[in-house]
Amino acid sequence: MHKTPLARRGTALVAALLSTTLVLTACGSDGADTGGTAAGETRTVTGGNGTIQVPADPKRVATIGNTTLPFIDMGGKPVGVTEVGASELGLIPAEQKATFEAATNLGSSGDQVDMEKLAGLKPDLILAQLPGSEFEQIKKQLESIAPTVFWGLDVEWKALADGVSAAGNVTAGLTEQKAKFKDKIAKIQQTYGQIIGATKFVNVDRWESSDPGTFSIADFGCVEIAQGDLGIDFPRAAAGADPLGWTALPFEQIAGLSKYDVITYPVDAAGRPKAPFAPVVATNTWKALPAVNSGRALGVFCPGNNSYGPVLQYLDSLDTALATLPAKE
Amino acid sequence: MTTLSLRHDGPGTATVPGPRRRVTGLVLALVALLAVLVLSVMIGSTTIAPSVVWDALFHPSADIDQFAIRDYRLPRTIVGLVVGAALGVAGALIQALTRNPLADPGILGLHAGASFAVTVAVGLLGVRDIAGYMWFAFAGALIVTLMVLALGATRQGQSPTVMVLAGVCVGAVLRGAGSALELTNPDAFDAMRSWNAGSIVGRPLDLVWPILPFLAVALILAVAVAGPLNAMAMGDDLAVAQGVRLARTRVLAIIALTLLVGGATAIAGPIGFAGLMVPHVARWIVGPHQRWIFAYSVVLAPILLLASDILGRIIMHPSEIPVGIVTAFVGAPVLIALVRRKKASGL
Repeated sequence: MHKTPLARRGTALVAALLSTTLVLTACGSDGADTGGTAAGETRTVTGGNGTIQVPADPKRVATIGNTTLPFIDMGGKPVGVTEVGASELGLIPAEQKATFEAATNLGSSGDQVDMEKLAGLKPDLILAQLPGSEFEQIKKQLESIAPTVFWGLDVEWKALADGVSAAGNVTAGLTEQKAKFKDKIAKIQQTYGQIIGATKFVNVDRWESSDPGTFSIADFGCVEIAQGDLGIDFPRAAAGADPLGWTALPFEQIAGLSKYDVITYPVDAAGRPKAPFAPVVATNTWKALPAVNSGRALGVFCPGNNSYGPVLQYLDSLDTALATLPAKE
Repeated sequence: MTTLSLRHDGPGTATVPGPRRRVTGLVLALVALLAVLVLSVMIGSTTIAPSVVWDALFHPSADIDQFAIRDYRLPRTIVGLVVGAALGVAGALIQALTRNPLADPGILGLHAGASFAVTVAVGLLGVRDIAGYMWFAFAGALIVTLMVLALGATRQGQSPTVMVLAGVCVGAVLRGAGSALELTNPDAFDAMRSWNAGSIVGRPLDLVWPILPFLAVALILAVAVAGPLNAMAMGDDLAVAQGVRLARTRVLAIIALTLLVGGATAIAGPIGFAGLMVPHVARWIVGPHQRWIFAYSVVLAPILLLASDILGRIIMHPSEIPVGIVTAFVGAPVLIALVRRKKASGL
C-alpha cells in the first residue's frame, strides 16, 4: 500500500508523539520510586554542578566516566556503570572486577550513556566525572532520572575520592586508606629524601592508543603523585600549556632521555613492561641509554590514580623500585 | 632549469615531449628521488650531525645516535620509497582503467576494505600491533576486489563504470560498518584513529619484505597491461580492433591494482592523494603513454611521499604529523593548480 506524503507525515507525527509520551512516562515514574528519596533522609554535597541533595544512604548508585573505579575501590557496588578500558580492568583486584562486571553496562563512555537503560535501573544517585562539555549535553537528562553529582576532569584525585566517598556514602574504608597513604609518603620521603633531592627523573609511557613508533614523556597519572606528594623532580608542562604526555614523540627521540639520571616506565603487576610500552624497551636506542645500562630505569606499577587503593599500590611499587637504585658514583 | 619541449603527436592528441626528453626527465626525477632519499635519512625530529649519519651507514657502532639512523630513519625511508612507488603506479593504473583522471586507488573500495578488515582485527579479534594489522589489511583489499569484480561483471564482460560504482558502494557499506564497530569499541576507535591517518612511522622493515614479492608481481602485471591500456584509452572498439582482449586486460590490471594498493595500505594505512596526483603530473610530462606514466609514477610518488614525510617531521617539532595528512595538504593545492591548467592532463 502506498501512502501519500501527507499520510506519511501524519504517521511519523503520531509515532513521535507516542515515543515522547513513553519517554516522559518512564522519566516521571523514576523520581517517585527511588529508594533513597523514599526513605526521606538526605544530605547535601557539593560537586562541579553545584550543591545537590542526595540520599543519606544511597542504595542504587550509577557511576559514569571516571567515578566507577574509585567508587568500587572504596567498597561501593554500583548498579550501572559506563565501560572501563580492558587495560584498566586488568589491573584491579579480582573482587573489584567482579563488582564492575555485575553492574549494568550503560554505554561505552560518559557521552554515550543509554538514558533509557539508566532510567530503567531506577538509581537513587548518579556519580559522574567526564569533560564538562559532555556533561552539559546530558545534565538535564541525568538530573531528571536521579540526583546527580558531577566532577570535571580538572578535579584533583584526592578531591574526587573525597567527593565520591561523601556522595556515595562509602566513607568506611577511606579514613584507613588515607592514613596508609600518609604513612607511605612519609616513609618514602624519609628513606629516599637525598636521592629524590639530587636526581633528575623522567617518566615515560606509551598507551594502546599511541601511534606506532611513538612514546611520551608522561606528566599525568601516577607520576603526579610522585611529583606533588613526594616532590620528585619529573619534567612537567609549563603553566597553561598542554600536558607533556599529550605529545607523541617518535622513537628516535628516545636518545634524548640520556640527559636524565633515572627513568621510570610502566610495568604490569608482575613487573614486566606494560604491553603498549614493550616496543620501547625492545629498541636498541633504549638499551643504549645510560640510565638503562646502569640499572636506573625503574619499572613502576600504576594500577590507577583516581583513588587511594591503586595509589597505595603505586607507592609500594615506587618504594620497591627506588630501593634498587644503585648509589650514585 | 630544464624545460621540456613539446611536440604534437597528431590531431586530437595532447602535445607530448619526444623520447629523449622523456628519458632526460626521468633521469632528473631519479636524481630528485636520490636527493629526497638522502634528506629523509639526514632530517628528523632530532638533530644528528651528518658525520654520525655517515658513520651509522658505513661505520656502524653502538653509538646511541647511530641507532636513530639505522633503526628509524633508514627503515622509514625505505618504507616511504616502497609505499610511494606502489601508490603511484596504482594511481596510474586506476586512471587508465577507468579512463577517469579523477580516479584514485581508493575508488574501488580497496582502502575501505583494508580499513574494515583492520577494524575487525582490532575490535573483534584483539589484534594490537601493526604487524598483526598487515595481513588483515591485505586480505580486506583482496576480498573487496573479488566483490567488485563479481559485482562489476556484465554480459559484455567487466565494465569499468559498473566496477567503479560497485567499488564506491562496497566502500560506503564497509566504511559505515567499520565506523559502527569503532564507535562501540573504544580500543578499535583508538587504533583506527592512528591507522587511518596513514603513516610510515614505526613500520619496521620486517613488514616490508613479505609484501615486496606481491608488489613485484604487480609491477610486472602493470607493465604487461600498459600497451593494451594505451589502446583502450582510444575506446573499446578501437582496442578490440587492435587485438586487445578487454576482459583479460581489465582483470590483470585490477589484480595488479589490488596487490599494489593492498600492499601499500597494509604497510602504511590508507594514504590518499599520492595515487591521484602523481599520475597527473606524470601524464603532463610524458603524455598518454602508459609505460612512461608508470615509470614516472614509480619515481615521482616516493618523492611526494618522502618530501611530505620530511615536512611532517619538522613542522610540529617535537611531535610529527602523519604523512597521509601532509600528503593531502601538499597534494591538494598542487592538484588544483594542475587541473586549472588549460591543457590539463587528460587521458
